[in-house]
Amino acid sequence: MSARGAVGWLTTTDHKRIGILYCLTAFGFFLVGGALAGLIRAELASPGQQVVAIGTYNELFTIHGTVMIFLFLAPFGAGLINYLVPLQIGAPDMAFPRLNAASYWTYASGGLLVLLSSFATAGTGAAMGWYAYPPLSGPRFSPGVGVDLWIGGIALVAISSLLTGVNVLTTVFLMRAPGMTMWRLPVFTWNAVVTVVLGLLAFPPAVAAFALLFLDRRLGGSAFDPAGGGDPIVYQHLFWFLGHPEVYILILPFFGVITEVIPVFSRKPLFGYPGFVLATLAIGALSIGVWAHHMFTTGAVDNPFFSAMTFTIAVPTGVKFFNWIGTMWGGRIRWSAAPMMFAIAFLLNFLIGGVTGIMLAAPPLDYHLNDSYFLVSHFHYTMMGGGAFGVFAAIYFWFPKMTGRMLSERVGRLVAVGMFVGFNLTFWPQFVVGLRGMPRRVPDYPPGIGFDAPNLVSTLGVVVMSLAVLLFVWDWWRSLRRGPSASDDPWGGDSLEWTTSSPPPEHNFSTLPAIRSHRPAFDQRHPELVR
Amino acid sequence: MRRAAVVVALALVTSACSSTFGFPEGGTQQGRDIRELWTVFVLAAIAVAGVVYALIAWSLLRYRRRRGEDPDALGRQFHANVPLEVAYTAIPVAIVVALFSASLLTERRVTALDPDPATTVEATAFAWGWRFVYPEEQIEIVSPPSRPGEPGPELVLPLGEPTRVVLRSQDVIHAFWVPAFNFKRDAIPGRTTSFDLTPTHLGRFRGVCAEFCGLNHAVMTFTVRVVEPEAFEAWAREAAG
Ligand code: HEM
Ligand SMILES: [Cu+2]
Ligand SMILES: [Cu+2]
Repeated sequence: MSARGAVGWLTTTDHKRIGILYCLTAFGFFLVGGALAGLIRAELASPGQQVVAIGTYNELFTIHGTVMIFLFLAPFGAGLINYLVPLQIGAPDMAFPRLNAASYWTYASGGLLVLLSSFATAGTGAAMGWYAYPPLSGPRFSPGVGVDLWIGGIALVAISSLLTGVNVLTTVFLMRAPGMTMWRLPVFTWNAVVTVVLGLLAFPPAVAAFALLFLDRRLGGSAFDPAGGGDPIVYQHLFWFLGHPEVYILILPFFGVITEVIPVFSRKPLFGYPGFVLATLAIGALSIGVWAHHMFTTGAVDNPFFSAMTFTIAVPTGVKFFNWIGTMWGGRIRWSAAPMMFAIAFLLNFLIGGVTGIMLAAPPLDYHLNDSYFLVSHFHYTMMGGGAFGVFAAIYFWFPKMTGRMLSERVGRLVAVGMFVGFNLTFWPQFVVGLRGMPRRVPDYPPGIGFDAPNLVSTLGVVVMSLAVLLFVWDWWRSLRRGPSASDDPWGGDSLEWTTSSPPPEHNFSTLPAIRSHRPAFDQRHPELVR
Repeated sequence: MRRAAVVVALALVTSACSSTFGFPEGGTQQGRDIRELWTVFVLAAIAVAGVVYALIAWSLLRYRRRRGEDPDALGRQFHANVPLEVAYTAIPVAIVVALFSASLLTERRVTALDPDPATTVEATAFAWGWRFVYPEEQIEIVSPPSRPGEPGPELVLPLGEPTRVVLRSQDVIHAFWVPAFNFKRDAIPGRTTSFDLTPTHLGRFRGVCAEFCGLNHAVMTFTVRVVEPEAFEAWAREAAG
């Protein structure tokens, strides 16, 4: 018997509860990061310094970027992985339930430190940008305690992700139900596997970089300070060796999400399952070798090599688009369902992120676009337009399973349309100002050189997006207590989680169906179609 | 009707071909080269995105579930089509190889260093300003402290001739960016990096620091003034004297 109430949640080792804790905490950070983005956009709505002081602005974008990347999107993915992987492979829990709880609490404490690093440090907050380049982040230029807290917080998040990685891999390799071969793994679980492998490979060098940075800051080291014989470029290599795989750590779980959603609402199997899995593995492998495309303008790396690697990674990503289209082709698509609407928005947005990514992969174009608003817009098209829309697709899809209640379909449609419109209003104008020469990380810009109108439109877009998000929060709160109750399988799902109750019992399954394909729940409903 | 459509289509195509799709035209030879590459990439992006969006739109409309249809009705349960999968892997490979080659050729040209530049500028970035030194002409121009509305120091370049810029930083990382030239390069402490600028347009151009460097990063600006070579000589004599 598990303890009830708040104590039950705080002491839980049940992967479902831990998964939900992750998702709730991460979503809270999304709201925090979003509020900070609102302040950023308010300051940039028109030229001149109106809303915040320059120093505060620098803290705002630093903490917005850090929160969104390390505390919102990656941990939301980790929450889904925690919740779904054991269910999808027919296991009663994760391999190491206590380690799993430890991962969550490590992440939560890291998040707290990151928040303290800027909100509780009275003018000495972390204000060096989310990738903390030395020498700016070093002792001479950022003497305050903010950067130290930031380093501590990110290091904890990194450790948490390593613990989760070990746990998920062990679970998937050792605890699959009879019949669940690797080639029958649900696609979300495949993406989870590649995600955690990337985390295991990429986080250790970054932790080393943060440790060296801390030595430079507090113990007189000079690993990255040229004045003492160090080299700031070494930090950039170590950081981006994490930083680039990190963006795939952010997006792969949500590739997984929409690849679960699209077949279900198209009433079709995934088109080209083996190709899709191979493409996922290829993305994982290639993403380890592209890191220095963030350093084209340093003049200190082999641009052609890293450019070639980056172009190559477009191929498996392109393949996935054809998997998704092939899945919809010939289907009976229910595209007015909220999860499907978010998945479609994901496709539309992410494609723009993809083609602009190809542009940035060409070093000559990067010489103009790097560190401009074009770049800011590009990565929001992937991480917000893709990642965050994937978060909403996942919430609408699995909320009934997690809570036993349905969210409102009508409100969901409104939220999807509002977010889509608001998002594109916010970020499309940023491509324009970037091309015209507006650098990122500036609280102000001169009037009359083509920056004014696009910036105003961008800020108005945030208003639309915020209203949609608030509408969602209201519907979520209402449905949690009074939503219509959900059946075990409200959508006609494919994977094992839809064969157990909503919400699932403590040990997930009382009986498992026979597993003969990557769609065991579908096979159970349609025995006549089993091949 | 049809003729009007043809006219509109032609107008769109010609304006697309003469348009720079938002990119600055490029006030240097190198910048023009980069903008031409951009046009290739944008046209490729429009083509690819157009095809993919069309396929998505077609599937959504053609294969949508109609009103009154049995909600449990299934789509056709096909799983794969190997020739198609090979094709949709091979075609992106071909596109990517072509784009990469174009990019590589442009990169060689824009980063090439002229063996005999007309003049050399040693540019040093510091928090928060710029110092431009012309060693041959014995000129030194230093930033007044950066403030909003303060254009910063002026870098003078001769028209039509390559000027070598030797870039350094005195403290943290900065970046030298002239948006009208479509070009930037990081200034990294402890390192020296060089590039050439060959201006093709007279005038004044805005320069900014593009790498976040602390409190006054946003106002760490400078101006580039491109003048005729004779005017450059005259300016250099006067500035040195
Ligand atoms: C909610 C809507 C969002 C808005 C309106 C927004 C807006 C912005 C803006 C205007 C900047 C540029 C600030 C500057 O350079 O001065 C920025 C930076 C950034 N954003 Fe967002 N953002 C949003 C959501 C997200 C999401 C979902 C993510 C990632 C998951 C994200 C990640 C980042 C990162 C990494 C930076 C760079 C921070 C840095 O320069 O150090 N943002 N955001
Ligand atoms: Cu990257
Ligand atoms: Cu700067």
